[in-house]
Amino acid sequence: MSATDRARRTNFLLDVTLFVICILLLTPLILLIANGFKTPQEMLIWPPTLFPKDPTLENFHKVFTETPLLRWMLNSFLFAILSTVAIVATSALAGYIIGKFPFRTINIIFILFLATAIIPFEVYMIPLYFQVKALGLLNSVGGLLVGYLVMSFGIFLIRQNVIASIPDELLEAARIDGAGELWIFWYVVLPLLRGPLAALAVLAFFQAWTAFAWPIIVMTRKKSFTIEVGLANFQSAYTVDLSLLSAASAAVMVPSVLAFVLLRRNFVEGIAASGMKE
Amino acid sequence: MLRRKQFWFAIMAILPTFAIFGWVRLFPIIETLRLSMHEWNLLSKNKPFVGFQNFIELFGDNQFMDALTNTAVIAFGAMAVTIPMSMVLAAIIYHRTRSRFSGFYETAVFIPHVVSLVPAAMAWKWIFDAKLGPLNAIIMGLGGDALPWLFDPVLSVICIIFLVSWQTLGYGVLIYLVGFRNLPKSVFEAAQLDGANGFQSFLYMSVPLLKPITLYVSVVTLISGFNVYAQAYVLASDTQGAPGRQVRVLVLDMLENSFQNFRVGYAAAEAVILLSIVLLLTMIQFGLIRGKGGR
Amino acid sequence: MTKSIRSRALKTAVGLLLAGTVTANAQDVVIWGGFPELTGYYERVAESLSGKYPDLNVIVEPIGLRDHEKRVALGLSSGLDDATILELIGSTANRYIVNDLIQPAPEGVSTFVNDDTNFEAFFQETAKVNDTVYGVPVFRGQGALFYNTDMLAAAGLEGPPTTMDEYDEYAAKLTQRDADGNPTVSGWSLRLSGGGGGIAEKFWINLHQYGGTLLEKDGDNYRAGYANEHGLAALKQYVDAVSGVKTVTVEMPADAAAFQREQTAMFIRESWVIGDTAKKAPDLNYKTAVLPRGSIALPVNLYVSGGSDEAQTAAWDFAIAANEPEHLIWMLDNVGWLPNRSGVDYSGVVAAKPQFGAFVDLPEDYVFFTLPSIEPINEILTRFAAHLVDAYADESLVGNDAAMLEVLKASAEETNKILNRAGILAK
Repeated sequence: MSATDRARRTNFLLDVTLFVICILLLTPLILLIANGFKTPQEMLIWPPTLFPKDPTLENFHKVFTETPLLRWMLNSFLFAILSTVAIVATSALAGYIIGKFPFRTINIIFILFLATAIIPFEVYMIPLYFQVKALGLLNSVGGLLVGYLVMSFGIFLIRQNVIASIPDELLEAARIDGAGELWIFWYVVLPLLRGPLAALAVLAFFQAWTAFAWPIIVMTRKKSFTIEVGLANFQSAYTVDLSLLSAASAAVMVPSVLAFVLLRRNFVEGIAASGMKE
Repeated sequence: MLRRKQFWFAIMAILPTFAIFGWVRLFPIIETLRLSMHEWNLLSKNKPFVGFQNFIELFGDNQFMDALTNTAVIAFGAMAVTIPMSMVLAAIIYHRTRSRFSGFYETAVFIPHVVSLVPAAMAWKWIFDAKLGPLNAIIMGLGGDALPWLFDPVLSVICIIFLVSWQTLGYGVLIYLVGFRNLPKSVFEAAQLDGANGFQSFLYMSVPLLKPITLYVSVVTLISGFNVYAQAYVLASDTQGAPGRQVRVLVLDMLENSFQNFRVGYAAAEAVILLSIVLLLTMIQFGLIRGKGGR
Repeated sequence: MTKSIRSRALKTAVGLLLAGTVTANAQDVVIWGGFPELTGYYERVAESLSGKYPDLNVIVEPIGLRDHEKRVALGLSSGLDDATILELIGSTANRYIVNDLIQPAPEGVSTFVNDDTNFEAFFQETAKVNDTVYGVPVFRGQGALFYNTDMLAAAGLEGPPTTMDEYDEYAAKLTQRDADGNPTVSGWSLRLSGGGGGIAEKFWINLHQYGGTLLEKDGDNYRAGYANEHGLAALKQYVDAVSGVKTVTVEMPADAAAFQREQTAMFIRESWVIGDTAKKAPDLNYKTAVLPRGSIALPVNLYVSGGSDEAQTAAWDFAIAANEPEHLIWMLDNVGWLPNRSGVDYSGVVAAKPQFGAFVDLPEDYVFFTLPSIEPINEILTRFAAHLVDAYADESLVGNDAAMLEVLKASAEETNKILNRAGILAK
């Protein structure tokens, strides 16, 4: 077999493996979508059917007419965009500084940033809630944002990528040429960080998109709910209306997938071509 | 002179971010940690100082110890699964970048990360079902015995590791993919000219070069693992049949103590212990994964 | 940047930040509930008040119970801006009352609640602290036996079990087994796993039938009351069922879903099962029956806090209007929770849905019990539940009364320790 034939065969095998793995990973979600089309009686059947015998659009109809799902998606979208911008901006600069300016003070600041990520948000959100309330920001996007302006893991991600992909020599050369620090950051560092920043944007966006613990205490009016908070509404005292909840979750998956595909195509992949180094 | 100029630039540049951090993270966290030496029921005006009493009580509290053990096992388990799997998956997907399916692969791996857990949990309860689930069906097909995944104290922890890994895999793959794409091509070209095949260049070149990224995935997975909550909660909820065994995890314990037992100071003491342990583990990871010249 | 662009940018930024801010007007009343299925009921009550309060805007905001409790805790401790009606279980509200975060109800409301023709003493007590009325009772969760009439007939059994011994007998006769003797359909589905204090609560219901109680009251103090022959009888029943005769196992499907799929013949649960079953398994042939001695009752009351005096008056009027017989009958019929008000005629509902009979047509000597309004109640239940889960899985306890009593004693010690820490342990 020639080399290209061998390569083609390996590629084919790899594709098959990837395909199988992806289908396995998606199985729970296929069931979730199927559940959205089931009647309450069919939801009861165990083991659950992957393809509804008696499909109905009733759940979707109810979800869209009886709850402000679209409004919730809009709220989440606005919140996520603002949070993403804030997080990418702060992480880019802070990550670069921490990565390339290893002074002791800066290192201590880094440890502080990282340490704050260890404590679960649910634990320190009580004092934060009182702070936000004092500012009158309850039930507003501002109040939501307070918890999502910075991301320790974001700063850490940029730091690691700065270390991995930006050689010190490059920066030194620019400095010797007389470039100012801000100029270096804007024209030398940022272009090289396009990929990681795009990945960060994706992660920050979805962190806000799926947020629950903070929004549920800051937003108490149904109209201002974000998605996860709204979905929690489908849980009654002792049962969950699973078919409705699945329909709603399935409906929410559509913009989620779209957002990921868009972000990916326009940013993450874009750098594949420009990722040429040296 | 040059160093001083750089130092001041660094401080000024990081100041705005640090200021925001100070207000939205440091201040409430310090406030919470301070509460660990006090007793507070969330509602009353007084918070009497109790010194180390909360900590002493915690060490004799077997629910807390249980939670700590379970959480540690879950965190390390998730790490052990996620790091190699996401690196390998990312490598394969990267290798097949030019395939028209690469978009599908990346999306499929990532979607579990963003889906709501409560409706997805039903599928997992089915997968782990002792009598009718596909997992046991496969095991029995291979000649083994059906296992009570959701009810056994040890197996239920493994179920959670499965769930956590299912969601973190996409995260890891995304990060590693970016890492792969930023690898310097010239080094690989040189290796290929020297006769190295794909697997060798992966093992001896990509992996070491990706150390900073691996450090990231490792630290983040561990910290997220210690913060596990939703996965334990949904598997133990009583929708659709028998609730699974409740695996006590730290966040669950802390939330219960704060909002149901009304012992905020006690929960804060738990947070202090969590912080100490995970900070230590994180520092160890930094020490271990640093390569030559890596940071 | 020129000044106009900068100021426009600033305005946009502020606008974005305040986007979605929802503020209330003086005549707004907000309802915070932990039971989203009650939305329809509250909306009806609001409509009925539109005559008296044409400008009244009632905003119903129910969310899941866990999050509702969190939201109330944070809201009350930092002060509520709008007049808010809070739906709270009596024992939860007690905490806020004790910390001065909920104020006594106005006189008109007090009179309404204290009127014996409106509520029985049991429900009045749940809305009072030290004889002062703080809230208005509205509904409760209560347990009864659900049993599959087809399965009972097939096993040659007539009518429901009426004593705990009969429960054991029925469980054994109703269990269906496969060729290896393992149960495929459980005779009596018990709560054997899951989170929180649910396991302990269900155990308490059985304990109650044996004449026992989880916590003994002694003046203002309490002590563990289950490390005795009653507790032993209840624990024995569980252990025999799971590890002895094996009429039910941990992995078997349980609870309402199992009952609806006919994977269990009997189980004890609250009235919401009736509505749920009508939706999911309308052809199921089943009946309900009262429990041998009495049932748990988890009464929910309405309290008011925050907002202007005007809005508060409207809010209290709402709470009283919520107790109008026509609304309560609608609630029972459509939602399935049990109204607390006395003297309401539910015969119409019971005629159409006879399963409600076991919840409203109660024998004279039916004894209710409820969760005591003490701070550590949740912790006590959760820790006891952990001991129970281990006991249920322990096969060595079968027939070993002494060992089972040891388990109960060890747990009772822990319960008393918690009570002591909270300063309410009886001497």
